[in-house]
Amino acid sequence: MIRLENISKHYGSTQAVRSLDLQVPQGELFGFLGPNGAGKTTTIRIIGGLIAPTTGRVFIDDIDMQREPERAKRCIGLIPDRPFLYEKLSGLEFMRFTADLYGVSGDGLVQRAERLLDFFGLLERSNELIESYSHGMKQRLIMASSLLHEPPLIVVDEPMVGLDPKGIKMVRELFRELVSGGTTIFMSTHTLKLAEDVCDRIGIINKGRLVATGSIAELKQAARVGDADLEEAFLRLTQEETFDAPGDYAN
Amino acid sequence: MLKLAVFGGLGTLFWMGIFVVTYRVLRYFQRVEGFGDVLAFKLLSMVLVTFFSLLVFSAILTSLSKLYLSRDLLLVHAMPVSRERIFLARWLESTADSSWMVVVYALPVFLSYGFTYRADAVYYAVIPLVIVPLCLIASGISAALVMLAVVVLPATRVRSIFAFLGLAVLILLYFTFRMLRPERLVDPEAFTTVMMYLQNLSTPASPLLPSTWAYDALRESLGGNSLSALFHTGLLLSASVFLTLLNLMLAGSIYFPGFSNTQAAMIRLIQSPSGGLHRLLGFLPNATRAFVIKEVRTFWRDQTQWSQLFLIAALIVIYLYNFSVLPLEKSPIQTVYLQNLFSFLNMGLAAFVLTAITARFGFSTVSTEGPAFWIVRSAPVSIRTYLWIKFWIYLPPLLVLSEVLIVCTNILLQVTPFMMGLSTITLLFLTPGVIAMGIGMGAAYPDFTAENPTQAVTSFGGLLFMIFSAAYIGAVIVLEAGPVYTLFMSDLKGFRIPAWQWIWIYGSFSVAGLLAALAIWLPMRMGIQRLEAGTPSGHK
Repeated sequence: MIRLENISKHYGSTQAVRSLDLQVPQGELFGFLGPNGAGKTTTIRIIGGLIAPTTGRVFIDDIDMQREPERAKRCIGLIPDRPFLYEKLSGLEFMRFTADLYGVSGDGLVQRAERLLDFFGLLERSNELIESYSHGMKQRLIMASSLLHEPPLIVVDEPMVGLDPKGIKMVRELFRELVSGGTTIFMSTHTLKLAEDVCDRIGIINKGRLVATGSIAELKQAARVGDADLEEAFLRLTQEETFDAPGDYAN
Repeated sequence: MLKLAVFGGLGTLFWMGIFVVTYRVLRYFQRVEGFGDVLAFKLLSMVLVTFFSLLVFSAILTSLSKLYLSRDLLLVHAMPVSRERIFLARWLESTADSSWMVVVYALPVFLSYGFTYRADAVYYAVIPLVIVPLCLIASGISAALVMLAVVVLPATRVRSIFAFLGLAVLILLYFTFRMLRPERLVDPEAFTTVMMYLQNLSTPASPLLPSTWAYDALRESLGGNSLSALFHTGLLLSASVFLTLLNLMLAGSIYFPGFSNTQAAMIRLIQSPSGGLHRLLGFLPNATRAFVIKEVRTFWRDQTQWSQLFLIAALIVIYLYNFSVLPLEKSPIQTVYLQNLFSFLNMGLAAFVLTAITARFGFSTVSTEGPAFWIVRSAPVSIRTYLWIKFWIYLPPLLVLSEVLIVCTNILLQVTPFMMGLSTITLLFLTPGVIAMGIGMGAAYPDFTAENPTQAVTSFGGLLFMIFSAAYIGAVIVLEAGPVYTLFMSDLKGFRIPAWQWIWIYGSFSVAGLLAALAIWLPMRMGIQRLEAGTPSGHK
């Protein structure tokens, strides 16, 4: 579903992502982990078509993002980490706006939008302007709108930020349900417990470089941490990368 | 560096221009036997009333933003600092922000008075002693009004104040304009005697207005009456200190409750969409319909936009009023010729009004997406389509507005059918170019972090848009001027136009048409390219 070929991204002299090669098959929940500033969000922006890579190519469902960006984006439901929305629209109006934008129409549209809003606990307040929503409500509205066009791929950046425990449980179950129905999910997170519980496979990025990919067991094996948890493996994998060259700090 | 050079250069030129024009006007007045000084001081009085009104209005908008709406206020109020100190710091910041430009451009006017009347050092010492308290008084009145308004109006809807202020400004502008009675200054015949005319000019402004104290202080110091100047300066200084203390007391009791209410989430229920607007716009492609509906709803629900509409309405009313009072029949030049000349100049004026409106709404339209611009970037709609949708959203209302303007003013001018046709067709071709420049350059220089869309207009890109738009309008008018004059004179005097002149006429109109096409295509292309290459905002 996702194929990244030799992706690099430079911001001036800073190299945010370096030679990233990655494939995520259909129906997989892929967790993308890394320390702050490792390049997770940049990678998500590239996959979502928000920015173009400096080098390399992105394929979504075998569609080249550079050549056919509109077609590729139609396959994606993007959920950013910060829920910036059109504050002067109501929740239901935003759903309708999204439906128009993605070309979703038909008689059942309003019912489908209301069902999604109901699932995310927003139906009662769907006629209020978004400006009165809390951070968590806005986050849930984006999730609801991203599912409206039934995309085969969900790209989500830090899904649990701003959600209450009930919301976290709901999203966790939803993701597993979507994946069992064949949807692919690419999720960046700092919550290692979440990644450990729901992800089929995990990729760890550090300083813009993909340092490890695999199942939890494979990562633990690569990190040589035995029966320790994912946190230990994560720290070891990112630490080795960071502290392999202590001279960097001195210089 | 380039921005600094452009802004600095234009600012200096404008500053020097004000100085030269004021100095020349004052020198001209001095040559008018008998009442030259009366005219000069009447002008000074008008200038001070205008400055004071501008200062009050500017300070109302700035203090509302600085005291209640800025994003950093939550952090500021979390600090262990007293409310009075927070108010004082914010109010002083607001005073500086709202008055620096008025002060900078008032200086050349005051200096030219000093040079014309060969004032001594006392006059130049009085200038800062007049300007600083005048700014503090204006800002003090504004802050008090804003604090009281936030208490009186439901605090959760504080932004509605903008609409209220817009209306107030419209009325203020109207009254200021009427009080100036500019037509009487150039039409002494309207008065029964010259004495009445002079008496009217000498009527002092209200002694309760701080601008009158400033006027008295400057006038007395110009005349060398230091003691009297000191008295009026003292009035200004004591009033500014009094207002500052009064505001500190007000802030202690009502500033924080008002701010606190402002932070409470506003809940506005919107009627469940029945789909009427969707059905009405059903003929549009899906993405276009989405953006049109979003744009319309956002516009009407954001009251901060309304005050701008009031201002534009005031601008148009004054613009039309000017045409209705033109004393064409009293001109020694042939009326038909003058009417058509004015109609020709009017095309340029209408296009400049259009530029000002496009700057506010068209130029800032991409920036108003703000941090939510990630929605556009991630949507299956190209930036090209998105920008062209914006263009088509703004074209119909602005085209109708510019055509209504030109037709109304032409009716007031009673121009010939030829000029009526020419102006409406010219505007029909000019308007898309001005709008494309606004949208394209607004996309090339977006500001997704601006708290207020008007900030985008005053940016470097906004300035470039104004310059290019003015150059474009000027070029089209110049290209049309020669051929139109020839056609007009041949019609008036009944001579035949030779073949080479026909070639020149067709050539000029063709180049104007080409310019109109380029003005659409080039800026839109630049906007698309630069927006595509830019980094997304609000999604880091």
